[in-house]
Amino acid sequence: MSLPKLARLPSARLLTSVLPHHQLLLPPLSPLTIPCRTKIQRDYRRPGQPIENKYPLNFNFSKGIEGIKKHFTLMKDEFFGRWVGPEGKPLIEHILEQNLVIWEFRGPESLEQWTVSSDQEIGGQSEAHLKMGRNDNTCFLHGKLSSTIPRDGETRYSGYCNMRSKTPKASFDRKKHYDWSSFNTLHLRVRGDGRPWMINIATETYFSHQKDDIYNYFLYTRGGPYWQEVKIPFSKFFLSHRGRIQDSQHAIWLDKVNTIGFTLGDKADGHFQLEVDFVAVSKDYAHTEEFAYEMYERNPKRERIE
Amino acid sequence: MKCARCLLQLQGLWLQGLRLQGLQLQGLRLQGLQLQGLQLQGLQGQSARSAAQRGALLQSSSQPHMLRNTQHQVIRRFHRSPINDKNQPIPAEFIDEDDNKKDKSLVIHDDLFEQVARETKTKATFNKVVEVFIKQDVRRRGHVEFIYAALQKMPEFGVERDLAVYNKLLDVFPKEVFVPRNFIQIMFNHYPRQQECGVQLLEQMEGYGIMPDVDTKVLLIQIFGVKGHPVRKYQRILYWFPKFKHTNPYPIPKNLPEDPVDLARFSLARIADDRDAKVTVYQLPCTDITESGEEITLPHVVGIQSPSQMELLAQHNPSRPVFVEGPFPLWLRDKCVYYYVLRADPVPPEEKVEEPYDPERSLAYPLQLDLDLDRDLGDEESFDVEDLDEGAVFAMCMTSQGDQAVLNQWVSGLQQNNPILGQVPTLFRLEQGPRELQGAHKTKSDHQHRPDPQTQREEEEDEVSVEEEPRRSQEMKQ
Repeated sequence: MSLPKLARLPSARLLTSVLPHHQLLLPPLSPLTIPCRTKIQRDYRRPGQPIENKYPLNFNFSKGIEGIKKHFTLMKDEFFGRWVGPEGKPLIEHILEQNLVIWEFRGPESLEQWTVSSDQEIGGQSEAHLKMGRNDNTCFLHGKLSSTIPRDGETRYSGYCNMRSKTPKASFDRKKHYDWSSFNTLHLRVRGDGRPWMINIATETYFSHQKDDIYNYFLYTRGGPYWQEVKIPFSKFFLSHRGRIQDSQHAIWLDKVNTIGFTLGDKADGHFQLEVDFVAVSKDYAHTEEFAYEMYERNPKRERIE
Repeated sequence: MKCARCLLQLQGLWLQGLRLQGLQLQGLRLQGLQLQGLQLQGLQGQSARSAAQRGALLQSSSQPHMLRNTQHQVIRRFHRSPINDKNQPIPAEFIDEDDNKKDKSLVIHDDLFEQVARETKTKATFNKVVEVFIKQDVRRRGHVEFIYAALQKMPEFGVERDLAVYNKLLDVFPKEVFVPRNFIQIMFNHYPRQQECGVQLLEQMEGYGIMPDVDTKVLLIQIFGVKGHPVRKYQRILYWFPKFKHTNPYPIPKNLPEDPVDLARFSLARIADDRDAKVTVYQLPCTDITESGEEITLPHVVGIQSPSQMELLAQHNPSRPVFVEGPFPLWLRDKCVYYYVLRADPVPPEEKVEEPYDPERSLAYPLQLDLDLDRDLGDEESFDVEDLDEGAVFAMCMTSQGDQAVLNQWVSGLQQNNPILGQVPTLFRLEQGPRELQGAHKTKSDHQHRPDPQTQREEEEDEVSVEEEPRRSQEMKQ
């Protein structure tokens, strides 16, 4: 189901109003030439474009040494972290903690954890750039939206940009997940320009057809010089697949969260900006809702009136 | 039975059946929801034969035999080819009086809309074009392409947010033809092109945020039946739209004020985030004619300041400068307005003065407790993040022309309520285009360390390339 439009504004439409039937920013569609067991994360490849063949690899000695150092350090940390407690934190902290800051933008190296994309991947003309904000304390996502549709005959909508976190990696580039099962609220401190954004959370899935399952909710910015604290309980996130809201809804499973992202696609051409101070999760004891949407039967048995 | 008499009887019954169905459909649309959707489907699912039977019953009450039904559709002869229709006289109402639209050649559907380009493009002309198409052909040949073209042309005619127009477009579909009659047809996507067209129409409605009507539902069920994709999409719209209608904590009204002063009031109140903030209009937009006969348009200057901002400004150290920064963008739906900010740079930690809480501020409970209590790990409610120290914001303003003279006007207006502005040096950090909300760039932070009398002495000729310009406070002193 497509997401209705925002602001005047019904909701979830934001994504499909903007997404073509391609999906933006996916962990890569595995090409046919490489076996399906691959877990290498590549940049987005537009369907129909040839797969870039990186083999044979260019061997660089110094990079190799750095890589070895990095991976072995990570492995050592993991090994010794286990003795301290789960995820390297003492057990009591892991159980009792109420607030956990996942991403804070203090220094240019924090930008490495994020990927920025826009509809230029499908041939559009929007731009998006990410840089450090004031005094290197915040991240600043800015750019220009343009909803001119790329003329390839199949794209219907255009004009979006997206900032997505990279999947966390353990040593030797193994996939790691965030475990937010002890939290129930997402807490952000942002400063926007009045545009409505959408927050996407992607979790780890089992079946291949669930790959583009994303849980979304809106981030309405007020605009202005003051910071805005946004608290969104995870029970409000609804499920969508490839930008279309699904009929059968369920609450997000927080034990294996992979990425979080911010998308803008509100059909208003022009420049935009968003400053993010930190992204954190917290446990709100006052929030007891499990899921905000009803889980109705899709095709209920009806009495046939003869 | 192939005798001529039997064929004639069948023809007669067929015509009456169609007329009856026409009456039924007409009744539905006029009376709205007198028939529930299910019943409607039941009625229409019947074949022409059963309708003809009922037609025989109602023969006494029916009107005298006509060649068309109440929908003014020409009923073609059952067993004759359309070529013979040339011999029949064309009824007067089918001759178009409007020369623009009469075209006997093969017409691409876009052209119908393009022909209207010579006249004004309004809702009335759009409706007229749709009606022309409907009247042209009872079988509505090419209705899918026509509807796609119409959907594309809607923004040009300005009717893309009009529900009645969408319902009229849905009316272009022939009724009942696409309703699946058994489970196999339902399974196999009966008339997929038409269903896709219906879905696209609904999707365009959804894209503009238009909530469909009960008329839409009735039309969709008449055209596609309850088991098709369009009705399913309609149900989804009806489920999700109300859920997300009130999710915006800072809602923007559907019709924004046109007057720039009112718009400035609304947006300043929005960004001030303080209900006690007061909006002051320092200057209304007007056009003056000077002695030399030139026209000068004075821009509007609307400012806002809240009591807490006034307090902060009063506590500001007069030796440190304040900055007028801007323009910053603020988006209201699809409209961007710009505002300017009066702010100071953050106070370095050595100069920060922590004022003790005034115990008389709150008599109900103490604001400061000297107890030695520790909070449990599970009760830790703050985030482990260092607080951002950004300079205090003292006031905001909006104006259409953001040059230094106008902003000077604003600051002098502010000075009436905040006398400290007379002593504090005010520097301008303006940029030509829309600016990022962040304040100090790395280069600007150097200016802070310059001693203050020097900034007052500095003239623009020294700093042609730099945006900072000192304000002539001497003129403004009262």
